Amino acid sequence: MDIEAGEIFCKILQEEHDVSAGIAAIRTLLNFLEKDDSKTMQELDNKLSKAIAVMRKTDHPVTSVASATELFQRFITLTSLDTPSFDDCKKSMLKRGKLFLNKLNESRDKVAKTAAPFIVDGCKILTHSKSRVVLQTMKEAAKANKRFTVYVTYSSPDESGKLMCAELEAANIPCTLILDSAMGYVLEQVDMVMVGAEGVVESGGIINKVGSYSMAICAKELKKPFYVLTESFKFVRIYPLNQQNLPKEFKYSASKLQKDLSKEHPMVDYTPPAYITLLFTDLGILTPSAVSDELIKLYL
Amino acid sequence: MMKLENPKVQVQQSFLRFVSDVKQGKYHGSLEVTRKTVDLLKSLIVDGEFTNAQGMMSTIRTHGSFLHKSLPHYASVGNMARRVLKIVREEYAVGRKNKSEEMDPQESLHKIVTSVDSGEDYSSPLPDLKLSVLDHISEFEMELETSIDNIAQQAQEHIHSNELILTLGTSKVVESFLRKAAAHRKFDVIVVDCGPLGKGHELAVSLAKSKINTTVIGDNAIFGIMSRVNKVIIGTHTVMANGGLRALSSCHTVALAAKHCSVPVMVLAPLYKLTPQYLCSYDQDAFNSYVAPDGVLDFSDHSTLSQIKRYCPVFDYVPPELVTLFISNTGGHAPSYVYRLLSELYHPDDYEI
Repeated sequence: MDIEAGEIFCKILQEEHDVSAGIAAIRTLLNFLEKDDSKTMQELDNKLSKAIAVMRKTDHPVTSVASATELFQRFITLTSLDTPSFDDCKKSMLKRGKLFLNKLNESRDKVAKTAAPFIVDGCKILTHSKSRVVLQTMKEAAKANKRFTVYVTYSSPDESGKLMCAELEAANIPCTLILDSAMGYVLEQVDMVMVGAEGVVESGGIINKVGSYSMAICAKELKKPFYVLTESFKFVRIYPLNQQNLPKEFKYSASKLQKDLSKEHPMVDYTPPAYITLLFTDLGILTPSAVSDELIKLYL
Repeated sequence: MMKLENPKVQVQQSFLRFVSDVKQGKYHGSLEVTRKTVDLLKSLIVDGEFTNAQGMMSTIRTHGSFLHKSLPHYASVGNMARRVLKIVREEYAVGRKNKSEEMDPQESLHKIVTSVDSGEDYSSPLPDLKLSVLDHISEFEMELETSIDNIAQQAQEHIHSNELILTLGTSKVVESFLRKAAAHRKFDVIVVDCGPLGKGHELAVSLAKSKINTTVIGDNAIFGIMSRVNKVIIGTHTVMANGGLRALSSCHTVALAAKHCSVPVMVLAPLYKLTPQYLCSYDQDAFNSYVAPDGVLDFSDHSTLSQIKRYCPVFDYVPPELVTLFISNTGGHAPSYVYRLLSELYHPDDYEI
């Protein structure tokens, strides 16, 4: 059953490029819930935990899987509090699960709608790596007949910036691919920085593709606004103090964790809240300090 | 919500007159404009025939959005429409006594997880709605009336003996704040004149009359004097949703100089000045307004007029990181807390009016 969860999860990610890892994880768990034959809450909980552990061991970005699955477990707990018997509970879980997933699926559109007005005519935007939310926001702005240009970093090692650039070009948005090391060079001509996030931590900082932190520092130094676009299911309950403090499984893919980590490159870095101007989420436009508020409301 | 094709046809005469009066400068100070707006919205409810909350809200919305579009620089006008809409929503919820009476209208992670749907169409008829809404609005008007006093009450907590306070331009709320503090303590005030629009000298005269040691300086002396100042206390035109200010021009200069010298900047802002709008771009024309530039260079200076351009912008944008504290009628708040106040004041569906 657990192995199956891993397979379903990987299959979703392979077949549907437009689905983020967090959503895929929740879909997998909902699928798991449908087939599940547990008799008690505890049994279900244990099985879910096992399935989650399997998904976290696959070679996909773990951060958003961690946040989304934690949210899902919270969803299960809150639903079980509302209903007395386990059978009723399961029915309402499946029913509410659909609503839950629908809301999450809508979130990217919502972010794009709130963020697009910040792209004004004639502006230049710098972005890092490939983010589906940023892409959709830019498409939304282009649809509203805004003329703007985008600079995209190659973002080594996976060069996801190339993909981003190709997608922007397909949407007829003028864009330029730049070297990661040219970040500082380009920034002075740019009006704002827009990046996505793999996770938003409790302090209001973000975990994102390695290089985001450098970009944020440069933007702060040159006094350019640094906007983060992200869905709220990526809010994760950790509080990293510095880069070293970030959990290892977030920084390295599962297959690399066994190797000598001092020789490996981290996949993500942590950008502290002081460098972030605003976060655009499906809950509205938030300042970094609003993030902890949201998490406290949910988990307290 | 319903959007009428041509709102002007539907808008009442009194609203049209109000807009032209404001444009001609017949009202002094934002409080007066705000008060009048509430009055107008209230008369709308008194005179109107409504079968349910939905109708009432759409009328308020039509008129509110007309005011907001006609007077884009008076953010408090739009705020009042949002506030009245929120009052109607609240009274409707109380009247219905439904399960969602204490429900938080904000989108939150918790709501997503519990998958509740907050879809409320406000269509059920409630006979007492009009009365209760009017009661609630009267309460709100009281809050408006006392807001300046409430801010001034806090003066003693912020101004201490023998301090040197810097302020700029004229602001009623700053004036009463300083007066209140002067009743108990001795301190000195420096007023930046903020020409040609600020009229700082008028504030200085009025402060001097109430026996406060006052000095007027020109805008060019702001940086020079800042190292000696203990505190900057200013008013503002609007507080943006991120905690930034739309304030009298040269506020940014003062705030930057204060930051450089590590002097705290306190902004006196009654709650009606909080707006859920963001500044999208720093060089946006819609943000600022320009007035006749005769104060910069007099019209009588014919010989040079043809050769130069003159501008007189009214506002400055001050980014939130330059503000230390907001003092509102409910107490002191950090700029990062503004989003929370906004979520208490307005319903998220009314942000776009």
